Amino acid sequence: MSHALAYCGFLHRQEISLPNSGVRSAAVQALAEGELRLLWSEVEWPFNPADLQKNAVEFHGVVQHVFRQTAVIPFRLLSVLSNRSELAAFAAENAQAFVADLERLKDCVQMECVVYPAPGLAPGHSGSGAEYLRERAAMLRLIEQQVADLKQRLHAVARDLRVREAKSGTRLFVLTERGKESEFRNLVEQSPLPGKLSRRMSGPWPAAQFLSDSVSAPQVAGAK
Amino acid sequence: MPSEFESITLSEPGEGETSLLEIIDHVLNAGVVIHGSLVISLAGVDLVYVGLNVVLTSVETALRNLQSAEEKRSSR
Repeated sequence: MSHALAYCGFLHRQEISLPNSGVRSAAVQALAEGELRLLWSEVEWPFNPADLQKNAVEFHGVVQHVFRQTAVIPFRLLSVLSNRSELAAFAAENAQAFVADLERLKDCVQMECVVYPAPGLAPGHSGSGAEYLRERAAMLRLIEQQVADLKQRLHAVARDLRVREAKSGTRLFVLTERGKESEFRNLVEQSPLPGKLSRRMSGPWPAAQFLSDSVSAPQVAGAK
Repeated sequence: MPSEFESITLSEPGEGETSLLEIIDHVLNAGVVIHGSLVISLAGVDLVYVGLNVVLTSVETALRNLQSAEEKRSSR
């Protein structure tokens, strides 16, 4: 059964080029609601989990194609609507909030840095429980200090900054002006990294961590 | 103004898997969530209705496995 797979939303400009094909080589179409455009494809649903990795890269390609040119609000890959009419209703209902976020984030990109225990140095379970807890507390303090140092340094380029604990480590999300990506990387690299820690930078990404609540989890008529 | 996208390409030697991991993480975990029901196929045969959170939890497990493999490789 085919469904409407939404990729991203952006503000219309004549010069923005669109990708020819998207997930599973489906044609990429633009749905217009005022100045808002939603990119979508009609795809066979459900996806085969075995193809999820390939589909994710194809999806990413569509979003990046537009994001290279302008700010976008990405949808998550596994979010689909039943058909074009449902997508159009979604756009009509949420256009105002989408446009407001796109205006607010129009010159911005999201950069990320994750700080985590160096490979092989995460607190293990080889010793006693008390020893494990001591190691874990020490590691958390080390990560907290590193994150605090990064926050201070990145203040120079950050319009906004969020920190989130994840199983993979502590993640910093920095909202910065498009074009300041190198400055972000330089500032991170200037921060001394203790030998027990690793860190990884990535970006630029669409500013998904800085969307308003009404956009990141919008109302959908008829959703269960 | 041009931006730099080199860090998330798939072709960088030695970083392909990490970049792919980040791409998968982002397309599944970052952005607009449309709450509703999803359908996935298991083993290409059965259709199972599940909530979005269940799918994302499964994906998170897969991502952890990928990251663990990447860490093992980099520690060699």
